[in-house]
Amino acid sequence: MVKNHANQFVNWNKVPNASADKAEFYPWKWNMASTPDGSDTVGLGTDTGPESICYRTDLLKQAGLPTDSATLAKDWSTWDGFINYGKQYEASATKPSGSHFLDSAASIFSAAVYQGNEAYDNASGTPDVENSDGVKSAWKYTTDATSAKITAGLEQFSDPWNKAFSSGAFAAVACPTWMMGYIQGQAGDAGSGKWSVSPVMPGGGSNWGGSWLGVPTASKHQAAAIALVEWLSSKDNQVKMWTDGGHWPSNQEAAADPAVSGATSAYFSNAPVGQIYGQIAGQMKIPPIGFYDTQIQNAITTQLTNIETKGTSPDSAWKAALDAIKQVTG
Amino acid sequence: MSRTRRLHTTLDATRWTYALVGLITIVSIFPLYYTIVMASHTNAEMASSTPPLLPNGSFFSNVHKALQLAPLNKGLINSVVVAGCITLGTVGLCTLAGFAFAKLRFRGSNVLLAVCIGTMMVPTQMGVIPLYMLMAKWGLAGHLSSVILPTLVTAFGVFFMRQYISKAVPDELIEAAYMDGASTTKVFLSVVLPAVRPAMAVLGMLTFLQAWNDFFWPLIVLNSQNPTVQVAFQSLATGYAPQQSIIMAGTLYGTIPVLLVFALLGRQIVGGIMEGAVKG
Amino acid sequence: MVTISAEPATGEISRRRLRRHRPTSRGSRIAYVYILPFFVVFAAFSVYPWLDTAWVSLHDVRLSTYHQQTWIGLDNYKNLLTNHFFWHAFFNTLTIGIISAVPQLCVALWIAHLLNHRLRGRTFFRVAILLPYATSLAAATVIFLELFNPRTGIIDWALHLVHLPRVDWQGSKWPSQVAIASIVMWRWTGYNALIYLAGLQAVDRELYAAAAVDGAGKWAQFRHVTLPGLRPTIIFTIVVSTIGSAQLFGEPLLYHNGMPDGGTSGQYQTLGLLMYQQGWTNDRLGLASATAWTMFVIILLAVVVNLLIARRRERRAR
Repeated sequence: MVKNHANQFVNWNKVPNASADKAEFYPWKWNMASTPDGSDTVGLGTDTGPESICYRTDLLKQAGLPTDSATLAKDWSTWDGFINYGKQYEASATKPSGSHFLDSAASIFSAAVYQGNEAYDNASGTPDVENSDGVKSAWKYTTDATSAKITAGLEQFSDPWNKAFSSGAFAAVACPTWMMGYIQGQAGDAGSGKWSVSPVMPGGGSNWGGSWLGVPTASKHQAAAIALVEWLSSKDNQVKMWTDGGHWPSNQEAAADPAVSGATSAYFSNAPVGQIYGQIAGQMKIPPIGFYDTQIQNAITTQLTNIETKGTSPDSAWKAALDAIKQVTG
Repeated sequence: MSRTRRLHTTLDATRWTYALVGLITIVSIFPLYYTIVMASHTNAEMASSTPPLLPNGSFFSNVHKALQLAPLNKGLINSVVVAGCITLGTVGLCTLAGFAFAKLRFRGSNVLLAVCIGTMMVPTQMGVIPLYMLMAKWGLAGHLSSVILPTLVTAFGVFFMRQYISKAVPDELIEAAYMDGASTTKVFLSVVLPAVRPAMAVLGMLTFLQAWNDFFWPLIVLNSQNPTVQVAFQSLATGYAPQQSIIMAGTLYGTIPVLLVFALLGRQIVGGIMEGAVKG
Repeated sequence: MVTISAEPATGEISRRRLRRHRPTSRGSRIAYVYILPFFVVFAAFSVYPWLDTAWVSLHDVRLSTYHQQTWIGLDNYKNLLTNHFFWHAFFNTLTIGIISAVPQLCVALWIAHLLNHRLRGRTFFRVAILLPYATSLAAATVIFLELFNPRTGIIDWALHLVHLPRVDWQGSKWPSQVAIASIVMWRWTGYNALIYLAGLQAVDRELYAAAAVDGAGKWAQFRHVTLPGLRPTIIFTIVVSTIGSAQLFGEPLLYHNGMPDGGTSGQYQTLGLLMYQQGWTNDRLGLASATAWTMFVIILLAVVVNLLIARRRERRAR
């Protein structure tokens, strides 16, 4: 997108406050909005989406599994450990009937795929799904999880998935910072205190989401717009974005502010969310983002639902995914 | 024997008729009723394992939240203007064209009618991008006229009126009027129009609803400053964390004017269909 | 209303008069004025977009880089015809179209006939049948998804009660198509019934009386008075339903949460969804334009076939 339309946006490398602006943000966030050679930057970062795992403490306890943060920090530090824990949940005799450990295999895939050197694009910026290390390892973990049947097989962001936040059909879900707000919206007050946030993300850190604010060159009030964007992205406002809206700042100085780093959440059992997400944000690997990432990921996660609910074999699901991806890339 | 047969032709309703019609009504209304149920509960209440079947009290608070999230009031006013203009234009102009195709003979009428029907067969979504660029060039993008003008006369309406007029207005009536010295326009106004009032009412109602429910093109050409109500719904449904109850409440709020039109004018419009023909 | 059976004597006189005053030549010029508004609107807002779409279909164009267009001739069309996604969508459109349109029109006709009776509160019933069309499509689809939910829906619960196996109304092919067809039916039957009702009013009541005198029962009256009187209206609804079924878009889109893939295995992806997915989701505008024009040809053929069948039936009836 940046490459295609860079000349339609104000270049932040050339505005009066350029160097001050640039210093405020995580370097990788700045780079994501820039052309490969760095000469053109189209937007200042708003939020990012460091991911952890949000889980139902009451359900895990009912299944007789440990939920203290020290044990989880150990058990859930790798995907293998996380999946093993899930197997124990499924095997538990005391867990609520009909409940599964994870909402969907997509929770694993969409997080793990960004934990390698490459995700869906290779280094030269063309989609190359089959040779990507991120895709390969993510697929392996995901198929481990599906063959262990630890997921509820729900499609993320569908109505049954929304309802499952209160019904307990799953006990854990991949949780970028903005998902905390989503959970509160879906589960309501009845869910307060039943949820918590994992101190670690399996596999290290991963990012899901995040935006930038840019100013089109066609804007009639460019100077005012630039000033507005700078103000909105400033440290104080990004701190507010977190405290009021639950969006993790992309402004490094804001992330270091005690209001952010020391935050806890009553809804999520007083977990030290500021510290957790801050740590994870620091560990995030940022493989190159591709133009068709969303469509490619969608093609793959759709097939995951087929594996989970229709008994499709992973191999034919993979072929179908590649087929759908080819329709996108041409 | 023939006397009892004749009685049956006056189409009196039996108990069976009422039962069937009642069943059909329940099936038709149920989803609307359930929308009211969904809109009057909170999101968490709807998610419980035994979903509620009766309305509750949260409707106004849900609507309040919906109004904060989306420009529903502006959308309502705009939709009334847009749908109203399209309906008036369509009913008037399609009746004219339908009459011409049905009763007047002119060279090329068959070809032109085929072209007219043919225009219905092109998938509508495809033309939106060049149409948008056209609107932008003419400075109409973002204005209500960009939504009103393209559908001011529809092939559907022309075809519908043509079919109706061809059967409902006897040729003899028209010829008699001609022989009395009337011009074609006078024939249209004094002979055709009165005879096709039921169809015009039906076309008007269907066109109004169609224009009200159209979301694809308005979504592309309008913006959040000047939305129709369907565009406003979209911004409700595609937020960061959409909540079903709020979406339903907003949707219901945006459908209320339509329901009002039904409630107030339904009697006139639909009743008109019946009364027009009963006089032998 | 004038009785149709004019007596021979007056008929001859009026026919002679007609030959002298030819209303057709009087009417012909102004007819062009009457049809002008439609063609003006059509020319202004439709012709250019369609020609542009046809032009785009001959190029490799991506929505994101609209102005970069590489000429590839008929390659998009070749791609379509050898693409299993296209044929898949084509057959889905055909099956969903038949399942939803045929019962719908029959039921609509029957409902119109019922509402044609002297009912108390008939205005209420007639308004009620149009309410599905007025209900927001999003709301309706949400509710139908609830009803058809394999885990919590009423329909599978009812099947369970009578010891029938539960059906996966979202995942499996035929059940999901039936579910979508039922949404389409629910939504459009009242609409078509109202159109038939308007048409029924144009049928002269005295014809029914005459038929009854000749000894015709209710069914015979329906076949020999109602149906012929409704012929133009029936043809209209068949043509419009064919076009609508071929372009089916909103219902299957919302059935999968607003995603145009037609289910996780494309089990209910229609041509309309495929075109939208190609153009908007997959960014391939050239291919989507080719799909649009192919759809046009398909719809044209379908309507022509329908009309030919209708004309053959009419000739046989005479």
